[in-house]
Amino acid sequence: MARKKKKRDMPSAELPMTPMIDVVFQLLIYFLTTIHPVDVMANLDVFRPSPEAQKEKPDTPPKMIRITIFADTYLINDRPVDAAELDRLLSKLAAIDKTQTILIMCTSLSPHARLIAVLDLCAKSGLVNLSVVSTN
Amino acid sequence: MRRQMEDAGMNMTPMIDVVFQLIIFFVTTVDLQSKALDSKVRLAMAPHGPAVEKKDPREIVVDVEANGRISISRSYMSIGVLKSILKKTVHEQGQTIPVVIRGDGKTNHEDIKAVMDACAAAGLWKVKFAALKEKA
Repeated sequence: MARKKKKRDMPSAELPMTPMIDVVFQLLIYFLTTIHPVDVMANLDVFRPSPEAQKEKPDTPPKMIRITIFADTYLINDRPVDAAELDRLLSKLAAIDKTQTILIMCTSLSPHARLIAVLDLCAKSGLVNLSVVSTN
Repeated sequence: MRRQMEDAGMNMTPMIDVVFQLIIFFVTTVDLQSKALDSKVRLAMAPHGPAVEKKDPREIVVDVEANGRISISRSYMSIGVLKSILKKTVHEQGQTIPVVIRGDGKTNHEDIKAVMDACAAAGLWKVKFAALKEKA
């Protein structure tokens, strides 16, 4: 209704709205299709102990939690676990102390995605002191 | 339409010019934005990781592709060159420089390890791993 009225008014105003609206709609469609939301990135902070410090204490203190990442499995303090179990254990540990150091040992041939997955689980549980070391 | 426009006495040419300018601007900038990030690195997912809110302008982003190739902002380099770059940066700006490792999910850990070792050699004990929190 409103538009009809406007159209009737237009000739006197001598400005055709139709092409402008066309263009605006074209632009709108263009931007809706091209601008997709940018992926949300996450940054997972870790500590990298110096190689010397690593050599100094080959037998890790018993209080420290060790997670070993293999290409096909995870070990937590030498016990094989799957991701769900690891998640459960980490949330339990986090309930005790969120600032305890978690030593994440990653084998050379495991894909990086698995390390990220473990770091993600740690972040989920709120554990902050994560040390990543590499093993063979 | 043309006749209509002539009747209305309005020149469409400047408007079309402006619209094209806008389109070209957005096409090029959108492209740049995706190019800056979307290289050959397919990040692993970390849905629980802390989202990146503020970006430190000094931060060094090291990309590691699935085949282990290392690059900083699309210029490929050997691990030795990376080491010297990091050392030089630390020498100039101190050890508080944040380093973000953008590793492909399929990268073997040994390639990530090489980058982490280069960081450690330069005195950067804290590194961050980039991951995708949400895929748009």
